[in-house]
Amino acid sequence: MSPKTRARGRAEAPDVPPELTRIPGRRILVVSPVVQIRLGPGDRVLVSPGQKVTAGMPIAERTCDPEFIDVGRLNGATNGNGKGNGEGGWKGSQQERRRPPLPGKWWVGGDDRRGRNARREGPRRLAGTLLYEINGRWSAAAGDRHEKVESPTSGVIVEAANCIGIAMKVTGIAIPAAVAGGQPTRGYLDVPRLVDGELRDTALDMGRSGAIVVAGGRVSAEALTRARAMSIRGMVAGSLGQAELRDLAASEGRQRAALHSMPPFGVLGLDGHQRRPIASPILALLAALAGREVAIITEPPLLVLDVVDVPLPELPRDWVRVRSGTHAGREGRWLSSAGLHRFRAGIHLEAANVRLGDDLGPTIIAVADLERFIL
Amino acid sequence: MSRQPRAFFALDFGAATTSAALVGHAGGRWRLLAHTAAPSTTDLDALLFGILDRVGKADRELLEFVSARERPGTAALVADLARLESRSSPPRRIAVLAGSKRQRRRLEEIASRAGWLVVGGSADVDDPLELSRLVLAWDTHAVLLGADSSPAGDEKRHLPMLGALVAAAARRRPELAVVLAGGAAIQESDFSGAGEHDRIPEVVKAAAPDSSAELDATPVDVATSAETTEEAPAVETAPGEPAAEQAAVGATPEGPSEATAPAATTAPAATTAAPRAPDLAAPAHAAPVELPVPSGDRHDSVLLAPDAESGQPAGSALQQVLEGLRARSDESRLGIARSVRSLALLLDKSIEVIEVGLDGGLRCRAEAVGPGHRTVVSSHVAMASASFAPEDLSDEMIDAVSSWSTIAFDRYRLSDRLRDLRSSPWGEADGEGALLRLAAAKAAVERLVAATPEISVREMPDIMIAAGGVWASTPPSVVALAMADLVRRPGVGRLACDQARLLGPLGAIADEEERRKMLKDLVEDVLLPLGSLILPAGIRQGRSAGRMRVTGETSNSDIDLQPGGIWAVELPPGQTATADMDFRDAVRLGARGRHFSVEVSGGLGGLFVDLRDIPLRLPDKADQKRATWESWQRAMWSEIDE
Repeated sequence: MSPKTRARGRAEAPDVPPELTRIPGRRILVVSPVVQIRLGPGDRVLVSPGQKVTAGMPIAERTCDPEFIDVGRLNGATNGNGKGNGEGGWKGSQQERRRPPLPGKWWVGGDDRRGRNARREGPRRLAGTLLYEINGRWSAAAGDRHEKVESPTSGVIVEAANCIGIAMKVTGIAIPAAVAGGQPTRGYLDVPRLVDGELRDTALDMGRSGAIVVAGGRVSAEALTRARAMSIRGMVAGSLGQAELRDLAASEGRQRAALHSMPPFGVLGLDGHQRRPIASPILALLAALAGREVAIITEPPLLVLDVVDVPLPELPRDWVRVRSGTHAGREGRWLSSAGLHRFRAGIHLEAANVRLGDDLGPTIIAVADLERFIL
Repeated sequence: MSRQPRAFFALDFGAATTSAALVGHAGGRWRLLAHTAAPSTTDLDALLFGILDRVGKADRELLEFVSARERPGTAALVADLARLESRSSPPRRIAVLAGSKRQRRRLEEIASRAGWLVVGGSADVDDPLELSRLVLAWDTHAVLLGADSSPAGDEKRHLPMLGALVAAAARRRPELAVVLAGGAAIQESDFSGAGEHDRIPEVVKAAAPDSSAELDATPVDVATSAETTEEAPAVETAPGEPAAEQAAVGATPEGPSEATAPAATTAPAATTAAPRAPDLAAPAHAAPVELPVPSGDRHDSVLLAPDAESGQPAGSALQQVLEGLRARSDESRLGIARSVRSLALLLDKSIEVIEVGLDGGLRCRAEAVGPGHRTVVSSHVAMASASFAPEDLSDEMIDAVSSWSTIAFDRYRLSDRLRDLRSSPWGEADGEGALLRLAAAKAAVERLVAATPEISVREMPDIMIAAGGVWASTPPSVVALAMADLVRRPGVGRLACDQARLLGPLGAIADEEERRKMLKDLVEDVLLPLGSLILPAGIRQGRSAGRMRVTGETSNSDIDLQPGGIWAVELPPGQTATADMDFRDAVRLGARGRHFSVEVSGGLGGLFVDLRDIPLRLPDKADQKRATWESWQRAMWSEIDE
């Protein structure tokens, strides 16, 4: 039995029977979560706390190849050649430029840092952030290759600090996930037809360029490689293995070393690492949102929807899903509490009678292996 | 009849498990009336409601008596009964910086023993960029910059750079706690010379442990140790003796004294007739040292701490400072350590606890300084990496679990399962999941044991206690086997389990005297007996090592002692027996000899006779190793094939 879907303006608190409260609840949606975008030494923010940002707006500038630079002595009022720009605004105000050099302040290499040699025609633009000062001499994390970081979604900046990161309160709502890889990204949601709950790799073609593709229960390393090659922006799956995450991280490392950067690519595992199909209420929600602009956030793992009203799936109060164990991924209706039950290996656990799918009889499942959905 | 309840809830909020127990005063003493454990996501009121419901169904009169109400409403009792609480501290990360790799390793080890998740770098290996990345990372909560008290050249030349780097990071991140240890304190001036745009962190000297207290206590009297001296013996108080009770707890006949008044919002007030529930105010020995950690997220202070060699054993002084910085005052693991100290004094026995949970593990030991002494020496180490599903899961940790597992996993599959175990610690607790959980728990205990050589060198304790959520659903005999597998010291000891997880909440009782009185009543309820363990060393392989006769109250056994195996002899809880052993060759069992006669007590698992090697010798090949584990495990876990 699969849940029906209907449009609804607001989530309603269901009236849960007392025995059902023993089953861990899983929230399908979270409203206006605070997300983080991590930065490192050499990176600067282009926004300030309280500022409203929209999806696609540059919010930070990342130094792709930061090196440790001995800057030397800096004047009190300006930094380097006077082209300094601190956190607090993309263009940088006069007031900011007049501030004395401080750790984290944006620094642009002066003429003495614009190295010229026989092989290079143009000057190098060394820029980065100041790290610390010893005996009047400053050090910096700087490089000559930079890339803009675009906001994956709209929201309000909560915190923004050079070298550290950006915290942003998202305007819309989000589907929580268990694990994420890659980078924050955005694209239109593509929910292709899944065969046995899985997506064939061949379905990932150029036609899906710019999409965030719902890939079914599991996504393979080959599918991730193919998706990146096809300019797909991200993938959402029921589970995401550690092997695939490592492959993705290695691929990103190689990408960073390359001169031409590709658009950010992110991947989400909704349930965890072991193979499980996407929960039917979430799949129904994703199907209803197909074609809408969504964003993948990696810290914390979220699929952000830039909307406030979404069609929520209509679920029976006793609808439960098995999240671990031999029946993992199956769904059904909770019938009754089964008390303390002796399971395999002589382990005694609190259990419940559940009618799974179209089964005729109930199945006894440990309560801790179940989850119920909270809308 | 008093209108004050004679019961309270003892609650332990773990990262994965919430344990709740109902403790009531009935039959002249405090008793554990009921307890339960559930995933931490479970609604607490539903949990407490369930406990009271069970007690009410089993013995309505008892519930009426302890609640001091004729028809107690369950919902009202859930709201009214006092609560004694302890909680796990969420794991926090510290960046360890040093001038040399040698110093960094030493500091990392100490920080790890203090319960921190550790990342580290040294200036002789890592460039300042990498070090900056460590301290500026969002998930880094504190920085430890350390050096020898008189730093040598290899460290000294890097200290100015490291000091400037950490000071710069502290200016960027006001919430960052900074500890300057040993010779690194010379960089203190970096934190006070800030300009008008910078905050000026306050420099605070962390209290060094009182070395005078260490002099007469050998050999494990360390900074992480605490002494409990029973200068004034506890007043033997029979319940219902108000005068003595008031003297012990400082209450007035009208109610709690002014000093304990704040606790009255949660604790039932004392009356002349009713026994007083424990004072639920802040614990007295909340942390080894009280550090001025600012409230909120800001740590506007720099702590000056001892170097990595201070204390006995070396590093314990710094460990104490770091632990005080990390742990909350009502932390479960510190509570367990305090309760064990009280128990050791109460029972006059050496006690060791091994606790494993989702966000870390604890090994602690408490014992009298010597026979007849009333001074207890204790030491404890709480490690975040001793979690059964660590947050920072490394390849070495995965391999360690694999080496304890009786199921063959490839590394990635095992990694996936362990990560899912962290996100869903109660998931798949049966069948293959139970075996995985056991292997993960053993790997965690192995890390704990490896990190506590100062406890491992001690003799087998009189009582060894297994605690923590990971053992909650494991059969008692399997828990006993795990203890025997991991803590291998020759001797005879009792094995017990803190099944109701009371040690943590009872450790939150502020007053040592009051805690000891409570434990005196509850000791048999707290320690669920698993059995006794006989573990001789020096047995030669190949032929029968001798014979053992177990003479019990109801049955006798005669066992041929075959080397290399472990046996469980049935000996129910509450029964004692005499085990007479005649070995062919001299062995070590406390002392060296061939004939031994020891008193053993029973438990849920019985009497365990372990004639395997010390340390365990296992085949090199993975499949043979798994088969060996399985053969030992199957002997103790007959339901494994169900």
